[in-house]
Amino acid sequence: LNAMPGRAPRQQIRFLPTPAPGGGGAVELVAAKVPPGSITVSLAVRGPRFRKLKIGAGHRLDVKASGVFVLGIGHGNKLLTDLYNCHLTKVYTVGGLFGKATDDFSDTGNLVEKTTFDHITREKLERILAVIQGTNQKALLMYSNIDMKTQEAYELAVKGLLRPMGKSPPIITAIRCLQFALPEFQLEIHCLHETQQYLRKMVHEIGLELKSSAVCTQVRRIRDGVFTLDDALPRTQWNLQSIQEAIRNCQLRVETELEKTLG
Amino acid sequence: AMAGVVRRLLRRGLGVTAGPPPSTRQLREAEEAAPVFQYAGKAAKRKDRVFVWGFSYSGALGVPSFVRPDASWKKPRRIQPTPYRLETEEKISSAACGYGFTLLASKTRDITKVWGTGLNKDSQLGFQRSRRDQTRGYEYVLEPSPIPLPLEKPQETRVLQVSCGRAHSLVLTDSEGVFTMGNNSYGQCGRKVVEDEIYSGSHLIHQLKEFDSRVVQVVCGQDHSLFRTKKGTVYACGWGADGQTGLGHYNITSVPTKLHGDIAGVNIIQVSSCGDCCLAVSDEGDVFGWGNSEYLQLASVTEATQVNVPRHLPFKIGKVKEAACGGTGNIVLTEEGNVFVWGYGILGKGPNLVETAVPEMIPPSLFGWSDFSPDIRVAHVRCGLSQFAALTNRGELFVWGKNLRGCLGTGRMEDQYFPWRVTVPGEVVDVACGVDHMVSLVRSFT
Repeated sequence: LNAMPGRAPRQQIRFLPTPAPGGGGAVELVAAKVPPGSITVSLAVRGPRFRKLKIGAGHRLDVKASGVFVLGIGHGNKLLTDLYNCHLTKVYTVGGLFGKATDDFSDTGNLVEKTTFDHITREKLERILAVIQGTNQKALLMYSNIDMKTQEAYELAVKGLLRPMGKSPPIITAIRCLQFALPEFQLEIHCLHETQQYLRKMVHEIGLELKSSAVCTQVRRIRDGVFTLDDALPRTQWNLQSIQEAIRNCQLRVETELEKTLG
Repeated sequence: AMAGVVRRLLRRGLGVTAGPPPSTRQLREAEEAAPVFQYAGKAAKRKDRVFVWGFSYSGALGVPSFVRPDASWKKPRRIQPTPYRLETEEKISSAACGYGFTLLASKTRDITKVWGTGLNKDSQLGFQRSRRDQTRGYEYVLEPSPIPLPLEKPQETRVLQVSCGRAHSLVLTDSEGVFTMGNNSYGQCGRKVVEDEIYSGSHLIHQLKEFDSRVVQVVCGQDHSLFRTKKGTVYACGWGADGQTGLGHYNITSVPTKLHGDIAGVNIIQVSSCGDCCLAVSDEGDVFGWGNSEYLQLASVTEATQVNVPRHLPFKIGKVKEAACGGTGNIVLTEEGNVFVWGYGILGKGPNLVETAVPEMIPPSLFGWSDFSPDIRVAHVRCGLSQFAALTNRGELFVWGKNLRGCLGTGRMEDQYFPWRVTVPGEVVDVACGVDHMVSLVRSFT
């Protein structure tokens, strides 16, 4: 960043004493553009422009999970706080495996129990998912802190915009099964205020509901608010040009979203 | 603690007392050697259950411990605000809620086919012999008790459906017609009104067989009864001051009589009534209504507040599949799966919509429809006196309306102005709505 050509040095406007027209010896102050003396511009005097960069992180992503991780640079940190207050949903693909139960709900933990899983069908799984969605839908409306008896609550509920705008326990707004091949399965989960460990626990509980057990093999965030996988930079592209391009691409979307939600 | 136990077990199994943690291969071997548990048997089937909620003090919920607690420190539970499981001996195929009482029926061939619980002051649950005094009957039944029906072939006849009104009940069988019991002061039981008849502790159960064809649906309004036959005709008897019998007059009728008017010659596939208004749906998707219209239920065709002849309601909402009539509001379900409401009261479109004569659609997004789940449809609609219930094809139950004594089952005591999910641990197959309580028939998930 420091190697890039810097901003053009600002032209300073100084008030210089010049002899007043008409003589008389009075001194008038006239504004005149003065190019800054070369001494103030030279790199050697000033030093590199950027010595530290303020980088802030968005929603947490723990060690075993992967996916979209939002960072803010400089001014972007303020935008990060605003985005947090928008309470937008995040989308994860969660992979699971039937037949095992471990102590930390993932496949790398210590084995607690093994169970049969041949009786599980896609239909049974989808029924459980429908129930989870239903109870979480109720939680969504309850934690949104709007009086249910108002017309405003009805309007928001119809549009599907009713969601908690403050602190709330993890809520799953939508869940569906993407792939099902015993013993493995993959779910797509849209959620709010969650942690990855909560999603792993959810996989474990789905296993229990189906009279078997399940562990979580993969948690991957594919969307965080307005940022999707397409906007995210893989490790090979962690360089200045790509970062600048990514920021430019997302700028407009972030602004519209903030305006829409926070007004 | 779990991790410690497992590690200790592994160490014991591998003969290592202390030292380095087991390697990956050792862990894998231990894992493969671990026993496999089976929780679901080969014949594991989905179980059928009954859930009840609402006002319990009349015994209508069928849980005696709510009214007479089984321990001295427990207090009686007047209201059950969330679904509560009711243990039944048989699989219940039909349930009906009256005003403070409930009827449950099963399609079994055993001798006991119908159980009743709740208010029995007019013998709407038949004669329930009191254990303390063998000559008298119970006025309140706290637990589902068998109702003895005078069947000719008790081990062959099956009970198809039950229905309850304010103080009378109807039981529909497959081969022995309709049995009626309870209050008959207006002829709603289909027999001649006896002056000064004492209904409490009565053994009388009347049988009705004279219809043009087999009766396939029975519906009870507040003080009248409707019968729909296989040929698509509708019969009515009982109180008629609001024209709810649809027979062209405002008097009482004590014998089931055929209805004419706009439904003459029309094949009716469903009838519904809860208060004093009635709705019928034909096989072509048309809606007919008669009875009370003080709340704009029939205002689309007439300004009169009572209509005593069935009238066709010309709504342009598509082919109607099912209709349900409440005390002041009505609801229909179209073939496309859309829900329309009209009438007066809490109709389900927020607190601003209080009354309308023309049906208004409830947005499907309130029933869980979204771009993410676009194949959710409402499958059935039901009506209580001032509540509505809708069942989706995923087995979810949505309720809205006046929350009289916790009858909505949402867990809160406030009225609900738009459809709200009721959390039931299972797939809801059917629901029966009464004045202040509801009964649902549920299948468990796995």
